[in-house]
Amino acid sequence: MNKKLLALLIAVGVVFGISLVAMLLGMRNSEKRMVVITQDNQVIHKIDLNSAENQTIRVDGTDGSYNLITIRDGEIFMSEANCPDQTCVKMGALRAENLPIVCLPHKVVIRFAEEGDA
Amino acid sequence: MKRTTKWLCLLLFALGLTGCSSPEAAETTLESTDLFAMDTYMNLKVYSVNGHTPITEASERITALENTFSVTNPDSDVSRINTNGSAEVSDDTKTVIEAGLSTGIESGGALDITIYPLLRAWGFTTDTQQVPDAKTINALLENVDASRVNVEGNTVSLPDGMMLDLGALAKGYTSDEVIRIFKENGAESGIISLGGNVQALGRKPDGSLWSVGVVNPFSPAENLCVLRIENQAVITSGNYERYFVADDGEMYWHILDKSDGYPADNGLVSVTVVGDSGLRCDALSTALFVEGEEQAPEHWRRCDDFEMICVTADGRILLSEGLEDSFENTSGLPVEVMHRE
Repeated sequence: MNKKLLALLIAVGVVFGISLVAMLLGMRNSEKRMVVITQDNQVIHKIDLNSAENQTIRVDGTDGSYNLITIRDGEIFMSEANCPDQTCVKMGALRAENLPIVCLPHKVVIRFAEEGDA
Repeated sequence: MKRTTKWLCLLLFALGLTGCSSPEAAETTLESTDLFAMDTYMNLKVYSVNGHTPITEASERITALENTFSVTNPDSDVSRINTNGSAEVSDDTKTVIEAGLSTGIESGGALDITIYPLLRAWGFTTDTQQVPDAKTINALLENVDASRVNVEGNTVSLPDGMMLDLGALAKGYTSDEVIRIFKENGAESGIISLGGNVQALGRKPDGSLWSVGVVNPFSPAENLCVLRIENQAVITSGNYERYFVADDGEMYWHILDKSDGYPADNGLVSVTVVGDSGLRCDALSTALFVEGEEQAPEHWRRCDDFEMICVTADGRILLSEGLEDSFENTSGLPVEVMHRE
């Protein structure tokens, strides 16, 4: 095996390794960190949990109903709502793609963003 | 020189491997919608063939079925039966009632579609939950008996004082209908969730299996496990779905057991059923939940058309053997595999 070939082999290895790491990093950053808040099936907020500052967002309904949504340390949860069942508040922070936080009485949903969300 | 060319080719190949995009059939587009219906939150996704609008058609079908099955809409098939004691119903309603009756027999009465008056007394239908007194419960239990429901042609009749509701089956049937509409529109790939009840059409467009999360009943924002499936329904009944904590500090949930009129407390906190039919899986998940830790595995052994995951009140996962290969534990709870023999 000559030196040129060895160099080429190493080059292939390095390029492959770097792109693999970059791909994994890219996946980690983009994966499951964009969330949307919807009201009546309309997206009203789109938030990147990786960069969002700690804050509380208020969502008002037409009939005096409201939901307070808190973002803290990269997590998002329903901190308060004047709905009768409080299911949304009890749910805690958003964890999984298939388990949105839903306030059924107010039709307010917090979920991870999908392809096609405005 | 020849060798260098060979290595260059390898290099290009390696670079190609790191690309993330997967080829997709050009003529399909992802259509997705969220909707609130049947007292739950639904999400539909389908890779539709150009020129077809399965999502619109499916959404309209869901609204129509909601109006047919609703116990609160006075014009629904179910309300007309309950109010008049007898009514001519649609084929949809007949199919669902018959499925409820047969699963009721199959489960020794664990599922009973006439338990509605009791559910109402517990306040689960109106968000005014309370523990009814023993006298009320016993009086209402007198009229819980699905064997007295009479179906002749499309006419359904009930004895005086009896009422029925299809809450344990309606979403499963609706799920089958949505998938049927997707197929009729030429789609080969899609997945829907009707309040956590999932049904898949085919596989993902890239040919891989769908990953379906099953809720951890002890921590409902997290998954208990992930199942890899195609063309199947994954339907769960759990005590965490609708419950209240009464003044006595006890937790009471919405799946009632007609043997005593109280929430079914037979050793299980959730049952997930996997099978080809949403309707069948939905009916079974309620029946098996009520049957409990002793009876549910026996019921499964008598059948060959479904698989299941039960979670016991003391935190064990009972997994039927047919799911072993598609099951990935994400909760760390101990798993016991159930065998048919």
